Amino acid sequence: MCYLCDEYGDPEYGNGIWYLNPTNYARNMYKLREPSKGLSGAGLFLEGGVHGGPGLPELLEAQEKGDRQEYDRIRQTMHNNTFTGGGSQVLPLKDADKVLELCSPIGLIGCICRKAVRAIDERNEEEYTCMGMGVGMLKWERWPERYKGGVKFVNIDEAKEWNHKMDKRGFCHLLMLFGAPYIGGFCQCDYPDCLAIRSAVDFGVGLLKSHYVAEVDYDKCNGCGVCVQRCQFGALKLELTSEKANIDQFKCYGCGLCETGCPRGAIKLVERKSLPALAEVWT
Amino acid sequence: MITARKLPKITIDLEKCTVPFLCKKCLQICPTAVFHVERVKAKEERLKEMDPRVDGNYVLFAPRRDKCIVCNKCIEVCPVDAIKIEVA
Repeated sequence: MCYLCDEYGDPEYGNGIWYLNPTNYARNMYKLREPSKGLSGAGLFLEGGVHGGPGLPELLEAQEKGDRQEYDRIRQTMHNNTFTGGGSQVLPLKDADKVLELCSPIGLIGCICRKAVRAIDERNEEEYTCMGMGVGMLKWERWPERYKGGVKFVNIDEAKEWNHKMDKRGFCHLLMLFGAPYIGGFCQCDYPDCLAIRSAVDFGVGLLKSHYVAEVDYDKCNGCGVCVQRCQFGALKLELTSEKANIDQFKCYGCGLCETGCPRGAIKLVERKSLPALAEVWT
Repeated sequence: MITARKLPKITIDLEKCTVPFLCKKCLQICPTAVFHVERVKAKEERLKEMDPRVDGNYVLFAPRRDKCIVCNKCIEVCPVDAIKIEVA
C-alpha cells in the first residue's frame, strides 16, 4: 500500500488513491501562515534538512567517510521528514487529467527548482513549467519573490492542454504535497534541474513512485529508442541483442512518459499492485 | 551504494560574486548542475521581492559538490574569478 493512500485515501473516491480524494485539495490550504521561520522549497533539501533534521551536507559528509550505516540513517530520516512538510508522487498523464478535474483554482507559474539550479526565470505562460493548485493559490501575492514571474489562472481544459503539451515535450509529472495530505502543486520535471527527481534518482529521497509500472510489448516494439530518451529515471535502455526496449521495473517510477511517447503503442502501464514483487516498491 | 571518497571542495568568494542570478554563467555551464542560486536568507527579507541586479540579493553556492567532476569550466567562465575548487 502506498503510504499516502494508507493515511489519506478514501475508499469512496478513486479506489482509495489519495490524490483522487477531493478533501486533500481543500481544507486548511488557505490558512495564512506566519512567514516561515525555517527553510522552504529547495532549501528544505539542501540545507539543514527538514524540521532541523539532517540534510544534504550531513549526507555528503557520511559519503566522504564511507560510513554506510550513517549514510542510510540520514537518507531515511530525510525521506521521512520530507513527507511531513512536502514530498511528491509521480503521476502518469491519465491520472494527472483526473487530478486537474478535482482542484480549483489552477494557476500556471514559474518553476522554483529551475530558478535555483539553472537561474532560469520563467516569466510568462510560454515559459511556465509549474502549476499551483487549490485555494492556496489565491494568496499568491503574499510571496512576490516566489511568484515574480506572475500567475496565469487557467480552467480545467486549458490546464489539461498545457499538461499534455508538457508531456509531449517529455516532462515528467509530479504532484506536490504542501504539508501532507494537502496537495498544492503539480510540476513538470526532468533530471537534473528538478530537485525532487534529482534527490530521488541520486539518493532515493522524497519522491514516491506512481501506482503503475511500465511494461514493453515485445511483439510491437521495433527498437526505435524514442522511449529511452524520455525516461528521466535511467530505467530504460535498448537491449542490444534483441533490439527492443528494456525496462528495469525496479527503477521505473511509472510516469508513463515512455508510454505516451511510443509511436507504436508498444509500452503500457500496469498497476503496481498487480506485480507482487513491486507492490511495495515506492522509492 | 557508497564508497569513501574525498569530494571536491568548492569555495565561492561572495565578495567577488555579487549578482549570480544576473550572471548565471557557472549555473548554466556546469555539466552536472552542481551550483544553486537562492535569494539571500535574511529572515526579515523572506517575503520581499528581490532585484537580481542588487549586490548580495542572491547568493551562489555549490551544494552538489558530490557531482563535481572538476572540469573547471565554471572557473574558466567566471568573469570575476570567484570560484575555487580544491581536490583532496
